[in-house]
Amino acid sequence: MLLFGKIGLGFMGTILVGGAVVSSEGFIHVKVHEKQTNGTHLSFVVPAMIMPLAVRFVPRHDLRDASANMQQYMPVIDAAISGLADCADGTLVEVVDSDTHVTVVKSGGSIVVDADDQGETVHVAVPLRATKATLDEIAAANGPS
Amino acid sequence: MKTALSTLALLFAATVVAAAPPEHYLHVKVDGKNTKELVRVNMPLSLIEKIIPAINQNQFHNGRIEVGDFHTNDVDLRAILNAVSSAPDGEFVTVQKPDCNIRVAKENGQMIVHIINKEDGEKADVTVPLAVAQALASAANDHQFNVEAAIEALDRAGERTLVTVTDNDETVRVWIDSQNTSE
Repeated sequence: MLLFGKIGLGFMGTILVGGAVVSSEGFIHVKVHEKQTNGTHLSFVVPAMIMPLAVRFVPRHDLRDASANMQQYMPVIDAAISGLADCADGTLVEVVDSDTHVTVVKSGGSIVVDADDQGETVHVAVPLRATKATLDEIAAANGPS
Repeated sequence: MKTALSTLALLFAATVVAAAPPEHYLHVKVDGKNTKELVRVNMPLSLIEKIIPAINQNQFHNGRIEVGDFHTNDVDLRAILNAVSSAPDGEFVTVQKPDCNIRVAKENGQMIVHIINKEDGEKADVTVPLAVAQALASAANDHQFNVEAAIEALDRAGERTLVTVTDNDETVRVWIDSQNTSE
């Protein structure tokens, strides 16, 4: 009985530590809601650490063009992500017109984009650290394979 | 002893909080009067200060932008800026025409340009701290504007309205404050 208890404790501990590691980079949240009847309703939350890992499994030759195009912008992207990570939370950009409302907000360690128009509502939240790690992976794809 | 240590810790914390300069934000607000269009941009100046030196594209390098020779027509912009900086406050230019009024003045270390276009009802007010203008012209050679230094000077200049443009269709306002949201 004691042995089962120890196994159970070890199992729970592994799940807890695994969960903590997986969620350490935050979560990507994408939600799309099409307003028309029978429109698509999509909502998913995935651990952000999957993003750079997934890029590693993409064949390098498929990323080569994207990587080459990104190289020149990487210093600006690095500076922007580092600056965003350091600045306080708040709405960075808001655009409203007669039928559209778009906001770009820095919230916690994430950039959150919300768009609402007559046809659909879109919500995307992406952690900054995972974004940087992913872009670094893509940029590195242009190196020697 | 404990009380003395607590007091010291509290004093230290208070000093750190007091010494930390407030984050300044560059706000842009475009408000369409008839179209119900609204654009709000709230950018931390610290973010802009980090991004500007990283841009190396076209005419923009290392926080400086190539603008050609601004000694054009034998006019030395830096000399003019220095002369304006050392001049006392006052109205430098006043133009009053049937269709528009223009006023250029120096007040409290800043240049103020005020334009009223009577034909289309457009009003524009531009306020530029002289320290910002001087920082902009502080690049090593005469073919560049030092945007990085200008942004830093803008951060030091503190809270103020920089540009206000009003016409029949929309209002544009650009200002600096320490709020992370537009009013």
